Amino acid sequence: MKGRLLALLIGCTAGLAAAQEAGYAVRQTELKREPFADAAAAGSLPERAAVKIVSRQAGWLRVESAAGAGWVRMLSIRTGATEGAGGDSGIKQLFNVARSGSSGTVVATGVRGLDREQIANAQPNAAELSRLAQFAASPADAERFAKDAGAAAQAIDYLPASQGAQGAAGR
Amino acid sequence: MIPRAALAVLALSLAAASPVALAQFPFNLNRLIDTARDLTKATTETSDAQELEIGREYAAVLLGAAPLVADPALQRYVNALGRWVAQHSERPELAWQFGVLDSDNLNAFATPGGFVFVTRGLLAKLRSEAELAGVLAHEIGHVVKKHHLNAIRKGAGMQAGMNVVGDYLAQRGRNPEVTSRLVSGMKEVMLRGLDKDDEFEADRMGVVIAARSGYDPYGLPAVLQTLSAMNPQDSGLALLFATHPAPADRLDALDAAMGTRLDRFAPGARGSAEFLRVTRGK
Repeated sequence: MKGRLLALLIGCTAGLAAAQEAGYAVRQTELKREPFADAAAAGSLPERAAVKIVSRQAGWLRVESAAGAGWVRMLSIRTGATEGAGGDSGIKQLFNVARSGSSGTVVATGVRGLDREQIANAQPNAAELSRLAQFAASPADAERFAKDAGAAAQAIDYLPASQGAQGAAGR
Repeated sequence: MIPRAALAVLALSLAAASPVALAQFPFNLNRLIDTARDLTKATTETSDAQELEIGREYAAVLLGAAPLVADPALQRYVNALGRWVAQHSERPELAWQFGVLDSDNLNAFATPGGFVFVTRGLLAKLRSEAELAGVLAHEIGHVVKKHHLNAIRKGAGMQAGMNVVGDYLAQRGRNPEVTSRLVSGMKEVMLRGLDKDDEFEADRMGVVIAARSGYDPYGLPAVLQTLSAMNPQDSGLALLFATHPAPADRLDALDAAMGTRLDRFAPGARGSAEFLRVTRGK
């Protein structure tokens, strides 16, 4: 009985974990057929339109909405509810219990580390600082890593504080 | 900073102390002020070596609040990626060290001198190496701009007429009372956070440093969307949310600053196979 309840709990919370993120459009914006600026239009999202985020590709989100489905620029969307979410923290707590239960990891309640109180009471840990140094990477290590990751260096200037309205226009 | 009034007092007291010298040599107020200014500089400007000393104390406190995850492969991975990203900042010569802290909380930290930490809780929420590169690049931005060092200096200790950083460096950590004052100043910064503008600046730098390193500039905004989608009451977010502007505000600021300027650098690197292996055990 207890086991079945836990299984049900895990099943239901796994579904929650995989649930698509909700969001809304911060401005009227075009839906595209593909995740590119010059892709064909697939409709238009009005400002404040609610969307479900289905997948992500670089600076683009695949969304579903009342206005149709398509790709939209990531920064034209804000995630979360437009009003205060609230109400689901109980479900999330349940999820945390189920997750630690299923992974066999024991997570002691209230001992997360790095909470306000733990920082206030922290004593410098010199042993851990020495351990940290053992894992340091040299510039040569970093170069090897980047080659494996397919990361190629680019020359790019920093962005000014804001382009203001100019940044949001033309999209 | 030595206030202007103190400079004047210094000049006057030097003048009063040496009337004979004054009679023999022309009184040069500008020169006296220059000397005083150099003294000021010595107490407010910190060498890289001194910054590292401060950073070691800061990192040790963080590690006292949460130890490293006991997973050498994970720690080496974050160091290799982090070092690569840091090489594309303005301070590649620092002895950069990166660590994953064993905490369920979602957070990331930088210290003076080039220590950067991310929590296990935040790592578990990241979808890709580009997102991790974006988080690390934001923290690297803080180190480049010395945001934390300046915040410690501007803290409560200074208002009481103390120079916690200068005093610590003068004592070389041998005076426990002085060290403890520095540690208090650091904890205050950890708990109070930086100025909002420092965070917005680190965001703008972060997307560029990640892109310079060959990673998708949209990694950091994607992480901010993850945070923004979470229940703000989640206790794992409490400290992060108390010490940073709201993720939606940070996204608004990045939206305005980025426009489409960095789009040609997306999607960037495919990422190493290590990411899923060390973060998800796959």
